[in-house]
Amino acid sequence: MKQKLKKLCTNRRAVTPVLSNLLLMIVAVAAMALATSATYVITTNMGETMSERIVIEDLWFNNSTGHIEVYLRNVGKVAIQISSVYVNRSSQAFAGPFNLEIGEHRWLSIFKNWILDSLYYVDIVTTRGTHVGGHYKSSS
Amino acid sequence: MLEATIKALRDKRGVSNVIVVMLSLALIVIIVTNLVLLSYQMNQFDWERAQEKIEIIDVQGQNFTFGNDGPLTVRIISLWIVNSTHHEHYDVDLFINSGDNLTCLRTDMTLPSQNFLIRIVTERGNSAVFIKH
Repeated sequence: MKQKLKKLCTNRRAVTPVLSNLLLMIVAVAAMALATSATYVITTNMGETMSERIVIEDLWFNNSTGHIEVYLRNVGKVAIQISSVYVNRSSQAFAGPFNLEIGEHRWLSIFKNWILDSLYYVDIVTTRGTHVGGHYKSSS
Repeated sequence: MLEATIKALRDKRGVSNVIVVMLSLALIVIIVTNLVLLSYQMNQFDWERAQEKIEIIDVQGQNFTFGNDGPLTVRIISLWIVNSTHHEHYDVDLFINSGDNLTCLRTDMTLPSQNFLIRIVTERGNSAVFIKH
């Protein structure tokens, strides 16, 4: 009995096929998990980018603060974050971080000194690359 | 004939290739289906937004009359009273059916004595303006 057990332990035949099958299985499962994760990430990112919708309800050249105030509303299907604000093609500082959940709306302050009776092109960009903007005149 | 069938069934060559192709195909189908569904939803949203035709017909004191000339029901969610010194925002929640007019009385509003602009915003992001002299 003892001899039989010793023989079985020292017998290396058929170990290689088992190991190779096991290894192949691990590699296949890992590859599939990677592919599934990549699919999920890609579709989620693209879906979120496609679902972004934001509107400027109002733009106010505020005399009392000297800033440009923009009232934004998120009418899309994902939460948004404002990453950049451009006034006449130049980047401007704003009161950030500015996040809007779905359906949320509030003022965004742009720290830009403006001149009366001038035309400004305001462009607001989200982290996913959606643009919203237009031409506005600072009238008296 | 029977022998050939049994032989074909026992022959395992090429099975892994078929499995790989099937799994890859399944992944591609999932990706494409997701993107097509999302694209369809957002196209529908944009189409509905383009179809909206809302207007402010009249403003008499604190009585506001809105009209919906579009083919879809609209929901007004925001009302603005804007003049040179103030931009006042008011939350509203009004549904107007296609082709209908709606009069709304807002006694909580303080309207400017001089010229001002009234703007309404719909749930889909469209707006209409009216200048009150």
